[in-house]
Amino acid sequence: MNDINSFLSRLNSTINFSTILPEIILIVGLITIVITDLVNKGKNAIFLYKIFLISTLVSMGILFYQLISVIAFEDLYTNNIFNNLFRFFILICSFISVLLSVDYVLCSKISLAEFPLFKISAGLGGMILSCATNLITIYVSLEFLALSSCFLSGYTKRDIRSNEASMKFLLMSGASSSSLLYGFSLLYGFSDGQVQLDNIIDKISFSQYLPIICISAAFILAGTAFKLSLFPFHQWTPDVYEGSPTRVVAFFSVTSKVAALSLFTRLFRLIFPYLSNEWHIVVELLAISSMILGNLIAVTQRSFKRMLAYSSISQIGYVMIGILAADLENGYASMLTYTFIYIFMNLGTFARITPFSLRTGTNNIRDYAGLYMKDPVLTFSLVLCLLSLGGIPPLSGFFGKHYLFWHGWKAGLYISVTVALVTSVISIYYYLKIIKLMLTKTTNLVDTLKTYEKQKSLVSSVISTKLKSSVEMAMILCALASTLSGLFMDPIIKITRNTFF
Amino acid sequence: MNLSELIHEFILALIEPGILVGSIGTVSFINTANSAFSLGLVFTCISLLYFALNADFIAAAQLLVYVGAINVLIVFAVMIIDQSVSSDSEKHGIGYFTALGACSILFLTIVCIFHKLNDFYSSSIHQSEYLKLNLFEQNDVQNIGYQLLNKFLVPFELASLLLLVALVGAINPARDEDEGKDIAENKKKSFVSSTSPRDKSSFF
Repeated sequence: MNDINSFLSRLNSTINFSTILPEIILIVGLITIVITDLVNKGKNAIFLYKIFLISTLVSMGILFYQLISVIAFEDLYTNNIFNNLFRFFILICSFISVLLSVDYVLCSKISLAEFPLFKISAGLGGMILSCATNLITIYVSLEFLALSSCFLSGYTKRDIRSNEASMKFLLMSGASSSSLLYGFSLLYGFSDGQVQLDNIIDKISFSQYLPIICISAAFILAGTAFKLSLFPFHQWTPDVYEGSPTRVVAFFSVTSKVAALSLFTRLFRLIFPYLSNEWHIVVELLAISSMILGNLIAVTQRSFKRMLAYSSISQIGYVMIGILAADLENGYASMLTYTFIYIFMNLGTFARITPFSLRTGTNNIRDYAGLYMKDPVLTFSLVLCLLSLGGIPPLSGFFGKHYLFWHGWKAGLYISVTVALVTSVISIYYYLKIIKLMLTKTTNLVDTLKTYEKQKSLVSSVISTKLKSSVEMAMILCALASTLSGLFMDPIIKITRNTFF
Repeated sequence: MNLSELIHEFILALIEPGILVGSIGTVSFINTANSAFSLGLVFTCISLLYFALNADFIAAAQLLVYVGAINVLIVFAVMIIDQSVSSDSEKHGIGYFTALGACSILFLTIVCIFHKLNDFYSSSIHQSEYLKLNLFEQNDVQNIGYQLLNKFLVPFELASLLLLVALVGAINPARDEDEGKDIAENKKKSFVSSTSPRDKSSFF
């Protein structure tokens, strides 16, 4: 007993549990889901989703409270505004994507208890990744996120596309995290055995070991650029996005990108500040090629999910400009603002594709023709989200891009901003193509839409009205956020301003 | 050479041929089960090497993880596949000689580096500093346990959660589903609409 008491008191003195309280609540939610499913023997799966929603909401509430009071926490991770904002973003992503997937309960023949389990674990991995300043914590949480996303993408095991997607994701994420680990091992070795990021930069003598640090930076760049799907490491993105179930794509298209952004920024800002000229050039090159490639290939796509995959590659290219343009007075404000808006735009678009593909069973862009007549609510909200992604003025995507490009121009990244502007115009083309297809009345309706009404009545008799409205609630939330956030741009920028570290 | 160095050399002389024989056996046995077992011999000898280098925690971890889990898994997989002994003649093509050349160059590089390091580290200054570190009286396992529960608590607990999720995720695609396990209404609906859009809707 004495040992346990002294251990607990020592534990309390070294770790302040209130700082990781949001993650602890998510873990409690995870365990509750597992136990509830065991007890209920597979019935009443909606209750599991309610547990997930409640735990996410409580986590968000506690995180809000902590955002006000910044607590410094020595060893494992620090709680500055940057980290807390990213944790908040990931909680928002989890919350909205769970709203999207509640109707999965009644419409599929696959067992459903593991779905919220994997989503909570991926959200947990992302949250811990956002605040880790320790090489080991970074690696374990990155693997946690990658593994949970891989299981999610292979969830519908009877479909061969899903199997292919999860196989590709697993293999490529394994390869990229091994290169990341090699970069970490070089840093660990040359800093005389330090694992904390701050201690590494103290102990490494940059002048003496410069080639080794460049090699290490290259490997770390390769490892993190995979998760971000920057240019040469983007090959997994279209296949995995097309193969996985749509709700899963919605979830990990925002969550893993947001978590990887925070990792990338923290690693390159803390460890390689003396190399900033070198890695700035490389990242600028990667960003330019991602933007060009993503937008050009998205023009030719025929499947909606694949097109969204390529467009998300180009969106990350824009966000990279925000990372490069960080300076003392503004911090990472442009990147954080654009990430916030991007979450809502992307989740909103996926929130509209999901019920459409549920009702008609197809993902081709051609089959969206004339949707305006069948379902005006879906059409209108999809139009709003697509225009916001393209960056048309009254919507918030425009304000996000405008602030990003202005910030980039001020920081001297003339080539990147020019390329970004040109490729934004190209992206407007393929978004408008879909909108035009939806809004024009075609004389001969496509076959899929003829059966649209029939399927809708069949499916809605299965889904209770309460569940159907959760997807619509997510749609309305995202539509509002992607429209009105532009008006509230100033307070958002003010919050994200002092995030330079 | 005094007695302790003699014993050390003797033990090393026992372990190293074991590693060599095991690794040559792994790549050149035609029967896959034989090569799996000789891989087990290699792992065991490496663990004995760790004991001889006074790293007791790593030696125990090597025995438990590599021999006890990974090698058992490999033997299990080999036995399940139940391949008949393939007896095609081994033609040494161009790839064989390229790989042979590349591996021997790498091996010579490593040997040269080790010789240089040996000369560097056996100078007297380094010997005295090394002896000052007093590594022989520390308790490895106690140190590791202390650090795991104090400094690295978050990754430690996260790794345990990761094991849980990995276990669930590995069983999830592999297990057998019975179709009528869901809610009773679903069974009736599946009779009503078993057309292809319905099947697609379970994917989307």
